Parts: sequence; C-alpha cells; structure tokens
Amino acid sequence: MFSQFLYALPMAIVVIGAFVLMLLSNSRMTLSRLNFIAVFFLMLSLIVQFFTWGEKESTYLFENIFGSSFILDDFAAIFDFMFTIGAMLTLLINNEYFKSRRYFSGEYFSLILFSVFGMMMLSHSHELLTAFIGLEIASLNIYALVGYHKTRKVSTEAMMKYIVLGSMTGAFYLLGTALIYAAVGSTSFSTIAAYVHGTDLQNINILIIGATFIMVTILFKIGAVPFHSWVLDVYHGAPYPITMFMASIFKIAIFAIALRLYIVMFSPVNSFWTEILQVVTIMTLIGGSWLAINQTLVKRMLASSSIVHSGYLLIAISSIGLDSDIAAPAVMFYLIAYFLSAVGSFGILSFIATKQKKQMTYDDFKGFAQRRPYMAIMMSIFMLSLAGFPSTIGFLGKFYIFTAAIESGQLLLAGLGILTAFISVYYYFKLIAMMYFYESNEPQRKFPIRISTVLIVIISLIVIWGGIGTSLIPYVPGADGFIDIARQAIGSLK
Amino acid sequence: MGDHILTLIIFLPLFAAVVMGVFRVETKVLKIGSFLSSAVTLLLVLWLTVHFDPHGGMQFVKDLPWIQNTGIRYYLGVDFLSLTVLILITLLMPPLYLYMKHEERKGYWYNMLLLQTGVTGAVLSLDLVLFYLFWETMLLPIFIMIGKYGNGMHRYNAMKILLITILGSMSMLFSILYLGYMYFETTGVWSFALQDLSHLVFNAQTSILLAAGFLLAFVIKIPLVGFHTWMAPAYGSAPTPAVVIMSSIMAKLGVYGIWRFGFGLFETTLIYYAPFIIILALIGLLYYAIRAITEENLRKMFAYSSGSHLSLIALGLILTNIYAWSGSLYLIATHALASAGMFIMIGLTYKRFKTVQISELGGIASKAPLFTFFFAFFALSIAGLPGTGGFVAELLIIIGAFKTNFWIGFFTATTMLAAMVYVFWMLQRTLFGPDNSSVEFKDLNLREMIMLFPLVFMLLLTGIAPSLFTPMFEPQLSAYLQAVLDAIGGL
Repeated sequence: MFSQFLYALPMAIVVIGAFVLMLLSNSRMTLSRLNFIAVFFLMLSLIVQFFTWGEKESTYLFENIFGSSFILDDFAAIFDFMFTIGAMLTLLINNEYFKSRRYFSGEYFSLILFSVFGMMMLSHSHELLTAFIGLEIASLNIYALVGYHKTRKVSTEAMMKYIVLGSMTGAFYLLGTALIYAAVGSTSFSTIAAYVHGTDLQNINILIIGATFIMVTILFKIGAVPFHSWVLDVYHGAPYPITMFMASIFKIAIFAIALRLYIVMFSPVNSFWTEILQVVTIMTLIGGSWLAINQTLVKRMLASSSIVHSGYLLIAISSIGLDSDIAAPAVMFYLIAYFLSAVGSFGILSFIATKQKKQMTYDDFKGFAQRRPYMAIMMSIFMLSLAGFPSTIGFLGKFYIFTAAIESGQLLLAGLGILTAFISVYYYFKLIAMMYFYESNEPQRKFPIRISTVLIVIISLIVIWGGIGTSLIPYVPGADGFIDIARQAIGSLK
Repeated sequence: MGDHILTLIIFLPLFAAVVMGVFRVETKVLKIGSFLSSAVTLLLVLWLTVHFDPHGGMQFVKDLPWIQNTGIRYYLGVDFLSLTVLILITLLMPPLYLYMKHEERKGYWYNMLLLQTGVTGAVLSLDLVLFYLFWETMLLPIFIMIGKYGNGMHRYNAMKILLITILGSMSMLFSILYLGYMYFETTGVWSFALQDLSHLVFNAQTSILLAAGFLLAFVIKIPLVGFHTWMAPAYGSAPTPAVVIMSSIMAKLGVYGIWRFGFGLFETTLIYYAPFIIILALIGLLYYAIRAITEENLRKMFAYSSGSHLSLIALGLILTNIYAWSGSLYLIATHALASAGMFIMIGLTYKRFKTVQISELGGIASKAPLFTFFFAFFALSIAGLPGTGGFVAELLIIIGAFKTNFWIGFFTATTMLAAMVYVFWMLQRTLFGPDNSSVEFKDLNLREMIMLFPLVFMLLLTGIAPSLFTPMFEPQLSAYLQAVLDAIGGL
C-alpha cells in the first residue's frame, strides 16, 4: 500500500502544488516567487519520479479504489518526466518574460500545474473516460492560458477559436467512447483490448467507428491537416510561454494517449486505419510545409512547422499499424527530439520578446548574430535540429522515423517525408540566413547569465549530444541511450 | 599513434575551433591557432603517407560502435583514393590560411576550421551515415561564408547552393536508409558500413533507383551539365577561400563519392547510367568551355573551367579502364592544385583591383612580372601545359577514352582543345594588352610567394616525374578496378 502512495505521489504533488498556488495567487507575492514555488513543486514531483523510476511493473494504481483506471508503467513514467521537465523549463525560461508583461498574474502558475496534472493523468489513464477527463483538464487550462492576455484581441480570438473547436472534438471523443461502450460494455482498455483480440474483425464495426471518432480528436489536437485550421491562429495569439508549452508539451501528451491506444487497444485492427492515416499524413506534410513557407512571423513559422512535425510522427504511427518494430520507439524518440528543439527555439523567442513588445518577423532577426552571437549559435542549433540536419538530435529522430516507414513498406511516405524535410530546410535556414548574413547597426550585447539563458545553453548542448553523443560514458544517455529509453518505455506497454 | 590518427586528423581543426571559441581568443591568436592546426594536420598526413602501404587496401581502420541499435558505426579508413584527397585537403589549408592573413573577421576563421573537419571526415568515413553527417556538415560553413562574406547576390546564391545540394543529399539519405534496412532484412543485423552493404544484391529496378539517389547527390556536387545551375553564381559570389575549397575539394568529393560509393555499392548498375554520364560529361566539356570563353568575370570563368575538368574526371571514371582511372585520379590531384592556385591568384587580383572583370584588367605583365608568372603558370597548368601534372592526367584520360570507343576519344580530345581557347584568350586580355586601370599595382610579396610555392612545386613534380606517384596508387587502383570489372563481367 505504501508503495502505491509513493507511486501516486508525483501526480499528487503537482495537483497539491496547483491548489497551493491558487490560494497564493491573490497574495502579495511577486510573480517570480510564485514561479519558484511552482517550480519547487514540479521539482519535488520530479525527484519522486526519479526514485521510483523503473520499479513499476505495469500495475494499477489503487486497484481496489479506481479499478483499472490508472496504470503505472515505464511508458507513463517517461511521459511524466517530459511533462514535469517541460513545465519546469517553460516556467524557468520564461521567468523574465512574465515580469515584462503586465497581464500575467498569480493564477497563471496554478493553471500550468493543473494542466500538467491533466497530462499526467492522460498518460497514466487506462480507461477511456479517465483519459477524457485528463485530456479535458489539460485542455481547459490551456484554453484559459491561450486567452490570458485578456485585452488583446488576437489572444481572445485565438482562445475562442480553440475552445469552440476543441470542445466540439471533445464531443467526438465522447461519442466514440459511447459507441465503444455500446460494443464492448466497458471503457477499460484491457477489456476493450481483450474484446478486440478475441472477436472476429467483421463484427466490430461499431467499435471501429467509435475508435475513428477518438482518432479525430487526437488528429485535431496534434494539428493534422484537415483539422489544422486553429493551429496558426492559436499559436500566434497565445503568449510565448503558452505557445512553447502547447507546441512542445501538450502535443507530447496527445501522442502519449495515441500510442497507448494504438499499441495496446487497437493493435489487431490498426491496419484498418492505415489508409486514412496515410492520406492524413500526406496532407499534413504537404499542407504544413505550404503554410510554413509562406509565413513572415517566426512564431507562425514555428507553429506551422509543428504541423509538419506532427506529419512525421503520423508516418511512424501508421507504420505501427503495419507491424514495424522500431516505429513506436521512433515516435518516442522523435517526441524527445522535437520537445528539446521546440522548447529551445521558443525559449529564445521569448527571451528576445522580453525586451521588445512587437511580433518578431524574419527581418527582425537581421544581424542577430552580431548583436548576440551566442544566442544566434544556439538558435541555429535548434533550427538545424528541427530541420533534421545531421549531428543534431533532430536528425536521428527523422532517421528512425524514415527507417520505420521503409521497414513497414511505406516507401512513398518515407520519400515524401524526406522531401518535406528538404522543404523545411528552406524555412529554417532562412532564419539562420537572416541572423548571419546581415550586418547589425547595434553593438554586440553581453550574454546575460540568468537561469533562463543557462537552461537554453544546456538544452542546446543536449540537442548536439543527442545527435553525436556516445554511450561510453556511464549514466549519461548518448545518441544511443535515448532510443534505449524509448524502447524500454514502449516495451512496458505490451 | 597509428590507432587514432584518422580521428585526430579529422577533429583537430574542430577541436581547435571549439577551444578558441570558448575562450573567445583575439583574432591574432585565432589566426595563429588555425594555421598551427592546419600545419599539424599536414604533418600528421605526411606521417600517414609515409606509413601508408601501397599494397595494403583499407588501412588505419578505426571501427567503433556509435549507435548500436541501428548498427551505425564510427568507421574510418584510408586507401589510395581517400589518401589522395586527404593530402590535397591538408596541403591546401596552410596556403589558404596564409592567404587569409589580413582577414580580421573571426567567423571566417571558425568556418574554415569547421569546413576542414567536414571535408576530411567525408573522405575518411566508411559508414554511410557517418559519411552523410560529414557530407552535410561541410555545407554549413560554405553556406555561411558565401552568405555572410560573399559579394554580389551572395545571400540569394548561398540559399541556392544550400537548397540544391541538400536536395541531392536528401535523395542520398533515402537510398542510405533503404540500403540499411535491406541489410537488416536479409541478415537480421543493422549495418550501414560500406563493406557490409556492398554485399547486398537487388533486382535491377531497385538498384537503379537506389543508385539514382546517390548519383543525384554526387552529380550535383560535381556538377555535371544540367545540375550546374548553382555553380557559377555560387563561385562568383563566394569569398576566395571558399571558392578554393569548393572547386578543389568539394567538387572532387562528388567524384570521390561516385568512385567510392557508386562503384562500391552499385558496380553493375553504373553500367546502366554510364551512357548518360558519358553524354553529360561530353556535353559538359564543350558547354563549360564555351561558357568560359564568353565569360567576363574571372571567377565565373574558372568556375566553368572547373566544371569542364570535373566532367572530364567523371568521364574517365565511368570508362572503367586502367588509363582512364589513373588519369582521373591524377586529374583530381593536379586540377585541385591548379584551380586552388588559380582562384588564389584571382583573389589576389581582386584584392589589388577590386574587380575580377576581364574588361577592367590588362597590362599587368609590364608592371608585375612575378604576379604574371604565377598567374600564367596556374592558368596554363589548368589548361594542361606539358610539364605540369594536368597534361599527364588529361593524356591518360584521352588514351582511356580512345581505348573504350573511338568517338568518345575523338570528342574528348577535340573538346579539350576548345577548352584551351579561353585560357589563352583570358591571359592575353588580363596580363597583356593596354593597362585599363589607374590602380597602383603591387607585385607579389614574400608571403604570397610562400603560399603559392607548394602548389607550383607539386604541380611541376606531378608533371615532370609522374613515376614518383604511380607506385603510391597503382597497385590498389588496379586491384579495385579489377574487382569492379569482375563484378560487371567485363565491359
């Protein structure tokens, strides 16, 4: 029983922290102090996670109370790690940004923590309704966060768009759940999986329809192309910290549930969705690239490129359905890679945005390398990683994804992926070109040593290390180690 | 020493760059440090050359696991082919640093160091993913150097060379991944090592498509006619050191790629592509020569000239007989030296006149005899003046061409004559004739002579005493050729 408490502790700490912050939000504490309290709770949760890592052997949490609603396994643990680390990075990197904007108030930190709790619940959930509740807890907080800048029209508009469309796809999810319940008589993953494995595939049409509805929700949340219309405006309207939070962490959470659904529950019928997924993937890759080429604001470019990255991930997801062994670890690895590069690049954007209030276009980056040489180097590293340039972690991410696609026989999809990776070189290198190719009139500024900048440096080093690092050093995962972790996590699912 | 020497040769410049970058050294220290690193690598390569066994096949092999899950290895080795290019790289670096002596912009130096690591790594790696890593990495400094320090429409041209080259490398990546997976499928083990993958057997169609992926990357890098649209603009706006590296090393790497990976992986399939490459190369010889004749900008003129010589090298390569192959290898070396010298001379001209338009030059001979001598020497050795290495190489390729087919030989020989025209006409207009400029013209100083001397020396040595070099590569070259011929069953 005690060990169960210990395993529940990471989630509990986050939600307790959220409540504490909510109570403190109207006190006279400064924003940075509240920020550090939030980070403290996340850190505490992280420490507990660290000590219980690897001990959990796919048990249910408090089985006599919750039944099989929550599962504890390495897969969820890895995602918990990413959520907490990601939230911490979001909070710490944007510490200066909060102070520079009037509209931030105490609730912000509480909302972030609640949403992290929702995501953790999502990754742990082993039952459709629990997953829905987790998803909605995470989403609702993010809706609020997107519209945080109340007086700014763009922000409010973004929130409205997101909340209306998001709620509607939430309804799709519920409809799907209802249909599955009608077919199976249970919403527990293990029961559904047993039903799917045990029943003749001709007789589960209702279940397939239900699962397709759930897939619509997932595709909407990751911004796959027929469901992508919100992405640009929402990412653009949200304040930088929120965009960073959504683009990197929330997207990962969606893939957590997607992987669990498609590897555990629907594995026998995965091939049913292959064509749908392939079409969606093709549209996502091409549409995302098309959007990304045309942007002038860097933030919007990153937003539309995040659609393309969803496309790469979808390649691997549809490879899972075609029995590719490395596809699932490839998704995990790519998520880690994308997470690092996205957090880093958005971090730098928000660092710049701290000083100036206007939206950053490509042109604003002219001469950036001269004003801030170190920042420019790190931004280049993140851009290279996002573009999948070798010697960064992004390359290995794409390497695994494309190998998985080839392994599953989707040669054309792999080819298209490589083609869009080529297109992405254009819009990522455009930024590098802007930074390096133009002279600046302003003098060179000193590299400010703050928590935020130091963290960005560390992330950029990890990005490089993840691309070239050896595993010869003990306890430090190199290029090899990350995929091992991903494999271990996926292995715990089966 | 022998164990880690290749690693040392590759990463010494990068290491120097990182150390100097972290400590934010003064420009003066940076210059000395860069030069020292290039000098030390040169010494290391000399040591390597001395200990190189001409009969030994792949040597100084270093094979470490890198990413074990997918069998990617840190796999290095050197044979006659990589040694040739390696010597060229390290031989060209110190003169380039001497040329850059008055360059105060730090980024310039860092990029050169990174570039050296990139090209050296690409030459020495025997694992395809490792090769791909270096192949892409070497593009980055070129991109920055053209875009930041270039002239003319340099930003546009930098993007152009980047995108076109990456299109090639992406297609290569696809082929690499597919090969790696096929190896996994047949053996159950992942590997991307060249020698493992070379055992794979495909049906003709797959093989043709896979080879296309590789060839596209290499053909763009060379560039053969039709894939050359990036070349003249990039050469025209790049700063001199970048041009030298592009024409002397990177273009050669395209040929090296066909030689190593094309023949290493797809011997039989290359026969399918041979007619296309031969035709493109022959068209290239003529087309580039005509473009060079009509070109007014010296840099672009020699960009086209470089293109025509690389077409010749590619032609010799695809003809697969011993004369043509020896000639190609020899031309790789001598053309690298000659074009490096020529582009340095053009750079020096630019430094003095601030222009490289032929119409604005003239009458140099009367004012600067030393300059005229070196300028003419390099131009003529590009044209294949007897007594320089280029002559020997071109002769060998022509013999090889005639041996394969009379008409190929005939066209090669005649188009090469067309290639002579632009050199002589250019010399006449730049060095002699009326003096169009009021700029006071300084002759070469001691530093400039010192940096040009090794190039002149090597060119003369390769031209006068080819027998010194043949034993170095002949045994391995003929063995490799024999292996290829065996595989394709004779042509």
